[in-house]
Amino acid sequence: MTSLHPADAVRLLVEIPEGGGSAVVSTVVGDNRFTGNRIAWVVMEKGEPESRGSLGLPQADEAVMELMRDALENPRASDGLHELAIADHPFEVYIEIRRPVQELVVVGAGHIAQPLAHLGALLGFRVNVIDDRPEFATRERFPSAEKVIRADFSDPFREVPLHARSHVLLVTRGHKYDYACLIIALQMDPPPAYIGMIGSRRRVRATYVQLLEEGIDRVLLDRIHAPVGLDIGAETPEEIAVAVVAELIMVRRGGTGASLRGVERVMERFFKEDK
Amino acid sequence: MTHDDGRSLTQALYAAREAGRCCALATIIATKGSTPRKVGARMIVDPDTGLVGTVGGGCGEAEVIEAAYRVIETGRAQRVNVDLTDDLVSWSPAVCGGVMDVFVEPVSPEAS
Repeated sequence: MTSLHPADAVRLLVEIPEGGGSAVVSTVVGDNRFTGNRIAWVVMEKGEPESRGSLGLPQADEAVMELMRDALENPRASDGLHELAIADHPFEVYIEIRRPVQELVVVGAGHIAQPLAHLGALLGFRVNVIDDRPEFATRERFPSAEKVIRADFSDPFREVPLHARSHVLLVTRGHKYDYACLIIALQMDPPPAYIGMIGSRRRVRATYVQLLEEGIDRVLLDRIHAPVGLDIGAETPEEIAVAVVAELIMVRRGGTGASLRGVERVMERFFKEDK
Repeated sequence: MTHDDGRSLTQALYAAREAGRCCALATIIATKGSTPRKVGARMIVDPDTGLVGTVGGGCGEAEVIEAAYRVIETGRAQRVNVDLTDDLVSWSPAVCGGVMDVFVEPVSPEAS
């Protein structure tokens, strides 16, 4: 078994997660005769996990495969250096982990959907847009989307089944359509990673009242991000889109959404004036 | 490496491979302190077509590009320690305040 070629390694890291799988690549970066050698561990959504390439030493392959499997199982594992020692060979490997690509499902193809789809794609989401109006659900309006689908809001997710990596944004032209799609998304098992619904306080409140009247569990209501987005005073469709994707990043990375100036307080902490 | 970065890097690596050219691939493998780009950021240095991707720009990147040319010439991978901790009040572009470890490797057109 020979080392995985760098071009093939970079391609694996991009294409496997796009197909819903995970890929881990290990490269020897310490200074020895195996420097630059690579092995990958590929886990497709369906199918058996497999390795590709080799570090050039069977014992090293075995040790690093264990490391790669552990890294995949640990959601907090991140890319970085690891030290290994095989017999008399000290090894330093750089391990990269790529998990399945996250999806953004924009329901409604109106004026807010356009910057949303664009920003979502920019952030690495695979973007799908759904609307029931053929004149809005067009490729021309959403050049960065993976799929632009015309579907009825009574069965919106037929062509893009929701899963645990779906981030659903409800931005249709009418409250009743948002509601129809919301109730479907809410009852998905496993639940989507994120459900956001646009709307004023009044509209959101009305939605909650309606959901409770329908007998939807209160716990499920906690899954809804509504009104959607962070409070940055957004007004235009583009500004609102920024506020919404900022919330998506916050959910994904676990930030606070507060201004860093207030969090870091550099002036206050380092330039305190004596009184 | 963001998604789009990954796509353009893949394309560039395969283009060089098909054209039979040797190029260099630089990857940030460790950082300390504040650096413009984080672990996993990549850049290709192709003597024929130039740069694809970035490891942060500025003086730090220039050091990596220099190393990349050495790597292509010798065919041996190299680790470059880039220090961006210049005096904060100097007007040097290297004022991020961090250090990064960049692995620069040759990418030969043959399957290795």
